[in-house]
Amino acid sequence: MAVAEQERAEAPFEPLLQFEMEMGTFLSDWQHCDQLSTFMARMISHNRADPVRHSNFFSSALNELLEVSFRGASADGQIGCAVFRQGSTERVRLTFPCPPGQRQFYREAVSKTRRGNAYARYLDAISTDFAPSREAVLLDLAINFDAEIHLDESDPPSITLVVDLPLEGIVS
Amino acid sequence: MSTAALSNPFKAEFDPNSQEFSLAGVVRPRSADEIAASISMLREAIDGVRGTFYINVKRLVQMNNTAFHAFARVLLDACRRRSDLRFVVVTSSVVGWTERMFGHLNKIEPQVTVEVYDSKFYPGQSFVEDTSFIPILRTQTKMTWRHERTILPRHGMRPGISMADICCGIGDFAMLVRKEFQPARIVALDHSKASLAYARDVASGFGITDIEYTYGDASEMLLEDNQFDFVTCRHSLQIFNQPDVLLKELYRICKPGGRVYITNEKNSHCLGEPRSKSIQWTYNEVAKLFSHFEMDVELGPKSRRYLADAGFDDIRVESFMVTNLDGDPQDFADIITAWENVYAGEMAVKRGDSREFIERFRQGFRDHIFAALHPKGYAGWPIWAASGRKPS
Ligand SMILES: C[S@@+](CC[C@H](N)C(=O)[O-])C[C@H]1O[C@@H](n2cnc3c(N)ncnc32)[C@H](O)[C@@H]1O
Repeated sequence: MAVAEQERAEAPFEPLLQFEMEMGTFLSDWQHCDQLSTFMARMISHNRADPVRHSNFFSSALNELLEVSFRGASADGQIGCAVFRQGSTERVRLTFPCPPGQRQFYREAVSKTRRGNAYARYLDAISTDFAPSREAVLLDLAINFDAEIHLDESDPPSITLVVDLPLEGIVS
Repeated sequence: MSTAALSNPFKAEFDPNSQEFSLAGVVRPRSADEIAASISMLREAIDGVRGTFYINVKRLVQMNNTAFHAFARVLLDACRRRSDLRFVVVTSSVVGWTERMFGHLNKIEPQVTVEVYDSKFYPGQSFVEDTSFIPILRTQTKMTWRHERTILPRHGMRPGISMADICCGIGDFAMLVRKEFQPARIVALDHSKASLAYARDVASGFGITDIEYTYGDASEMLLEDNQFDFVTCRHSLQIFNQPDVLLKELYRICKPGGRVYITNEKNSHCLGEPRSKSIQWTYNEVAKLFSHFEMDVELGPKSRRYLADAGFDDIRVESFMVTNLDGDPQDFADIITAWENVYAGEMAVKRGDSREFIERFRQGFRDHIFAALHPKGYAGWPIWAASGRKPS
């Protein structure tokens, strides 16, 4: 049994779909966030138990991530987004050029999603901010989508948000 | 891809009579300024009400954090200004994240509560979502299919199309259509999780993975506008107390030039020989019983009017009769037994009918079965199949 469990834990994430785009092109139209998230969600959800609702959920989460990179990235370089699957979880790897001054911000924002007071912070953001900060958006993903968020900084000047979304379990 | 954004336009509306502010469609603004008009509409609406204020997000398909924060902020501010008001956010069980997101507001201001609007929206729902319906649905579809497989092409069914079966029940029809007509895409939607689970089980047992079974409310579907060449809705318009609302949704998801196909009954016209009088009496009572629960099982011949009123053109209507001679007469008898169990055993009891009435009511079903199994007997169940084209 121990062996079986270990195998499950180590089962690889399988690639489903990915896109890359010039950052300048991406930033030329805000609607790209909506269009890309809707399209990607529909493509990857077709073989989930409830494709329509899975797609709706996934699109919500991916759109927020794309909006984060839209608001925070510099115009040079490329944005890349890849979706993987392992069991009931989808992993999104969103890579975008990050100005050096912002790295620390992302490190902190990501680590705050895993702290014990994440929920209190989230409630505080709703009740005080008129517009959500990028930090509040990451908290939203952790709280409303049960997302686990990590940061991969192995390829500067880009950073990669690695977001595991166990949506199949929430949807059904 | 751009049509996806256009097909679910964002709408905010306020109905002062019901004190209900509703948000629908996709709202993903870059900044709150883009939705400033809706935000002030909400603020002004709150200023003019007393008692309970409703925020209906049942038809909200997507909302980003920017919009959520902006609307939430107005509500939370209002709570602080108006301790006399209660705020009820009405979400649907279909779009799971709305319940989660709006639920947090209650943690901040207890005046805001979230209600999941679900099974109570039409009166007969509990009867038809009951799992005891599953075996009846199976046999019914098996018997109607013999007729419908030749009828469907006259109403627009053909290979390669994109279709949706709304109120799909246990999914037999979707399976049969897939095999016979090979559509390019089938979405099958129902509001019974038990039926869907059954449908998914059957499909996976046959190794079929390309039917998209989805949980939804047919009167408020997540499906986008203008998506399907062919939309079917079988034996279901007649169980909604507002068939026009459902038809509007079927119309909405149908492509311009595509067709919506509906089947319905006229229960009082079920017939049999011998013992026709008793049978007729009982089925007249069936119609009355359903109408007591606000369902119109006499809808069949009204299909033409419903389709016309919903804006369809090129309307086609035909009727067919499922009979005991269609196949094994025992199948016919099994359907009637199941009807007897639900109609006499549950619905009449629920209406509070007397024992004498229920006994006489049951007798008609038994006589129908007698006619079906009699070597010289004839028993029938008439059905109207109708379709209309969405103008292009
Ligand atoms: C009489 S059955 C017909 C099922 C199937 N079309 C057939 O012919 O066998 C009605 C179906 O409508 C479904 N239903 C009831 N209310 C619904 C709603 N609001 N949205 C979607 N489906 C609903 C029920 O779960 C049930 O499966």
